[in-house]
Amino acid sequence: MAETEMEYRVELFNRLAQTCFNKCVDKRYKESELNMGENSCIDRCVSKYWQVNSMIGQMLSAGGRPPM
Amino acid sequence: MAAPNSEKELKTEVPSSHEAEQPQIQAIRMPSMEEIRAQEVWNNCAVRSVASGVMGGGLGFMMGMFLGALDNPIMQDQMSGKQQLLYNLKQMGSRSWSSAKTFAVMGVVFSAVECVVEKARAKHDTTNTVVAGCVTGGTMSAKAGPKAACVGCVGFAAFSVAIEKFFDRHT
Repeated sequence: MAETEMEYRVELFNRLAQTCFNKCVDKRYKESELNMGENSCIDRCVSKYWQVNSMIGQMLSAGGRPPM
Repeated sequence: MAAPNSEKELKTEVPSSHEAEQPQIQAIRMPSMEEIRAQEVWNNCAVRSVASGVMGGGLGFMMGMFLGALDNPIMQDQMSGKQQLLYNLKQMGSRSWSSAKTFAVMGVVFSAVECVVEKARAKHDTTNTVVAGCVTGGTMSAKAGPKAACVGCVGFAAFSVAIEKFFDRHT
């Protein structure tokens, strides 16, 4: 239902933000704003995550069994 | 969820105690749309390189005028008259214009290369500065042969790393 979908979306967003933050942002904080390298890293990370997530969702919903 | 409650308590306490403590903790604000758009404009490689070129041109102009003014008083003792002064001023202007062009080209090339390399690597490192400095130094001294290009590359890369470390020490 809508609650499950909402929980799923919130969980997806939280995991996405956590993963891309851990990958892209350096732990030694020098300034508060994102510089260009971090910006482009976050763009790539989010787009990869989204694409893989939708691919896996399609594979899980189309075939009954995961192909492993 | 204790953090949002404490933030709300800080927000209600702040207006009542103005003279109590100077360093008050500011609540975290998300950037507004204008701030996001300004950041997007400033992150564009073309805008950054043009701005850097303009700043380099200004710096080169000031330096050229300063150095030209330093050279002039030697010639004024030989020939008197305001026409000599005008000639000196024109020479100073042409020298500062050529210096401004050199510095502007340097600024444009350095900023453009650094921006492109940083966007391609998706990392904020000193390697970006080294590569940009090497390309800038190499292109500026490329007319004097390949050996001078290598020397210019290494020299300018070392200089730009030193300048960046100097500016980063303040933060």
